[in-house]
Amino acid sequence: MTPRHHVGIIRFPGTNCDLDTWEAISLVPGLVPVWVSHKEKSAGDLAAIILPGGFSYGDYFRTGAIAARSPVMDLVGDFAQKGHPVLGICNGFQILAEAGILPGTLLPNSKRTFLCQEESLVIENCRTPFTTLFDPGTPVTLPIAHQEGRFFIDPDRLQDIEKKGQVLLRYLSNPNGSLREIAGLTNVTGNVVGLMPHPERRASSLFGRPDGLLFFQSLALYLERQSLRTLSEAH
Amino acid sequence: MTADTVSRFKIPAHEMERIRSLLGRDPNLTEEAVFSALWSEHCSYKSSRIHLRKFSSKGPRVLMGPGENAGVVRVTSRTGIAFKMESHNHPSYIEPFQGAATGVGGILRDIFAMGARPVALTNSLVFGSLRQPRQLTLFRRVVAGIAAYGNSIGVPTMGGEVWFDERYAKNILVNAFALGLVAEDGIMSAIPPPKPLLAVYLGNKTGRDGVSGAAMASRSFTDGDTDLRPQVQVADPFVGKKVMEATLTIIRHGLAGAIQDMGAAGLTSSSVEMAAKAGLGIEIDVDKVPLRDFSMEPWEILLSESQERMLLLVEEPRVERILNIASESQVSAAVVGRIISDPIFRVRKGETVFAEVPVPYLTDHAPLYDRPARARVHAPSPSAHHSPSEAGRHSIVELFHRLLDHPNGGSAEWISRQFDFEVGTRTLLSPGHDVAVVDLREEEHAVAISMAGFSHPLTRDPGRGAMLLVAKCVTDLAAVGAWPVGLTDCLNFGNPERPETMSDFVLAVSGIADATKRLGIPVVSGNVSFYNETDGISIPPTPILATCGLLSDRRRLVPGRTFRAGLSLALAGASHDLSLGGSYLDWILDEPEPDPVPQVDWETLARLQPFMNVVLAGRTLCASRAIGRGGLLRSLLQIVSGGTTLGVALSLPRLDNPLQTFFSEAPGRILLAFEPEHARFIEQSALEFGIPFRTIGITVPHLWNIRYQDRDGRSKELSDSPEQLKRRYSASLAGQMEELP
Repeated sequence: MTPRHHVGIIRFPGTNCDLDTWEAISLVPGLVPVWVSHKEKSAGDLAAIILPGGFSYGDYFRTGAIAARSPVMDLVGDFAQKGHPVLGICNGFQILAEAGILPGTLLPNSKRTFLCQEESLVIENCRTPFTTLFDPGTPVTLPIAHQEGRFFIDPDRLQDIEKKGQVLLRYLSNPNGSLREIAGLTNVTGNVVGLMPHPERRASSLFGRPDGLLFFQSLALYLERQSLRTLSEAH
Repeated sequence: MTADTVSRFKIPAHEMERIRSLLGRDPNLTEEAVFSALWSEHCSYKSSRIHLRKFSSKGPRVLMGPGENAGVVRVTSRTGIAFKMESHNHPSYIEPFQGAATGVGGILRDIFAMGARPVALTNSLVFGSLRQPRQLTLFRRVVAGIAAYGNSIGVPTMGGEVWFDERYAKNILVNAFALGLVAEDGIMSAIPPPKPLLAVYLGNKTGRDGVSGAAMASRSFTDGDTDLRPQVQVADPFVGKKVMEATLTIIRHGLAGAIQDMGAAGLTSSSVEMAAKAGLGIEIDVDKVPLRDFSMEPWEILLSESQERMLLLVEEPRVERILNIASESQVSAAVVGRIISDPIFRVRKGETVFAEVPVPYLTDHAPLYDRPARARVHAPSPSAHHSPSEAGRHSIVELFHRLLDHPNGGSAEWISRQFDFEVGTRTLLSPGHDVAVVDLREEEHAVAISMAGFSHPLTRDPGRGAMLLVAKCVTDLAAVGAWPVGLTDCLNFGNPERPETMSDFVLAVSGIADATKRLGIPVVSGNVSFYNETDGISIPPTPILATCGLLSDRRRLVPGRTFRAGLSLALAGASHDLSLGGSYLDWILDEPEPDPVPQVDWETLARLQPFMNVVLAGRTLCASRAIGRGGLLRSLLQIVSGGTTLGVALSLPRLDNPLQTFFSEAPGRILLAFEPEHARFIEQSALEFGIPFRTIGITVPHLWNIRYQDRDGRSKELSDSPEQLKRRYSASLAGQMEELP
């Protein structure tokens, strides 16, 4: 029997991509979505955590600023620290950056309006739990939908994340003024990923390619390998 | 008239007289406030009600009709769609961002008050010319306001329409449509059951914002109205989301007897209207209402239009669970009153009674006007132009460029990319198509939404123009294989006290009623916005329609554009009356003696959807699109918009009237793109359904070439670059909006 890995989906009161993320996870054999409340304090038996998109606490204040200080983020911080996979999508990325779990920050788009459109992107880092099924340089098409997606970081640290290969995803044509076209990022240890584009919106598709599904299938493969490794170590 | 007959709430003198004779006394301040709200045009429909009776809301699929927060139509064996459209014109002109945002919030509350989870939003926006800086600002802020609410609450804004016309400069139109899904056995009503019930307030705290908003929307603007901002409400989509989730939870657990959103005239209209529907009375204690501002007077609390509030009628044993749900969702809730058996609206503040009015006085006895109507005499325009039918007068290429260069003919992408049109991942056809298509995720069904609000045909001929709008919706739906199942409308007109406006209104309502009855489409909900008038100048008659259609199999759906070269292009549908009256070209040229508005071929129109269904079921199409605004040429450009270099090569026979062929917007025609090998099957199907059909050309890269013969048999050729046409198309609106500092 294939093991079933529980993937926690964190819900803040203003999260609105929660159901979409649930559906996307449900499409992948081996992954089981589980709701995690913003008040939750224990990770239980979760194998991975996803912070979906939305407007966590209305985002009238700086995006993600309140969410980053909510009870569940202590849990997420510990979970990430232990090396477990964590994915922040859109508002989830903003929250991870605000909480200092990922470097940099996401500023208002250079055109100052919300942008909802498809973007051509290139995958650069395929060593994270969410990108193992890609080859470096793979072109993907994913939608963005955000008002604050302009990645920014000071020059020294920018050089640092570039040098360490932390850039995961770049736009082909920069829609929002992000530094170095950065659309997605990982932490130094490679277990935490932040994406401005929405892979869960391309988990299945009537007309286009379901490029987003590969991110979740990668996670399933990664968790599968992890549990095999644990198993063989036990023997 | 003595000084004391003048109403503090601008109730007209003759209506004040009526109030006095009903009550047998003078109303006090609070009572007068209540009358001013419920007798306002906005709440009472006093000028429109007798005409709206022409609409038929009957149909085998109709689960809920007018009188509820929204209409509901069955679309699968167990699910219904709840949908409605509303205007927020007046507030949006005063404070565009909040006005538009609260318009979206208000229509969403109407939907989830029915127990339906909102899954789609669309809108129709009509503004003055963007050459005026004021209009640029209004437009930019309205779009941002719609985006702010829809994006945050997580309901996708999937489509809409936009039109710029100087005649709307001082009365912009912002109409929002919402659609939700509800299980047939989970539909909530605004009509309470005959049981002892308590009134439970749920949502945002009440403040002074929007006090008397309904009364404002029931008047014309004048230059003196420089600061009406306190009458505009403030949106809070975050609280809106919490209220939505709490309300849906309460309904799912069967805890409420009736629900209505506190929209126009807030607490007053929601409480009185629900009590009236049950033939009962209601008592409200304003001391119990959660307040933001404790200095508010009872009449202000009653008339406040603070947003994100619902009123629930609940049996006492269930109140506690509701209060718990509210507290978990972090929204305010309180018991503010109760249903009483005497049909009386009583307002208390603690022990003191502030108002006591029989409910029927506020509703059934509200004024009902059959206002005089006088048909408009069309003033002859100056004869500076020449008739478009004069051969050779206009270069077709040049006219096409003019249509594309105006924001009315360009791409609306600058608007739609500010809307999250995909959240919820039910969006099958996104903005840029004629219709929005929502995946129902049940029985492979989907729902298509078509919006029609182009007023120019009505300026030419209100009755026939209104019919044209219905026919346009049905054509749009047919192009994706959807069968119309229900219609909602928002009727935007000028001052009903003007006989010309009233005549336009009556003709337009008759036109819509007639067309929908012919096609068997129930009109399940609607809204009237009168007094779109400033300094004595009314807007053109502008009914905006949203028609919902059902697709039986979403997997057969094809998009409205292709990127593939070598496809055959064909025209299917009625083509005997291609008059240009009321078209976009007609609007651009503004000829002194325009063509008549085309007559709809209802017979062929009704066969169009069954024909398309067969063709789509055969999986033979790559793209399809209704011939819409701008006519054939613009629709051709749109159908090849899947790729940046794709164009067309067309070979047409002798054309008696090339202008009509290329620019007519007569409904009932669909452009099809398909692999040449399927031509026989499609043509054969058209023949079986009695649908006129003609293959007109193919899609080709880097080429835009159209050959035809003119009336005298001379060969003509239109050549252009598809890349340049597409650049024009995408730059006309975005260029204007992005040039600003």
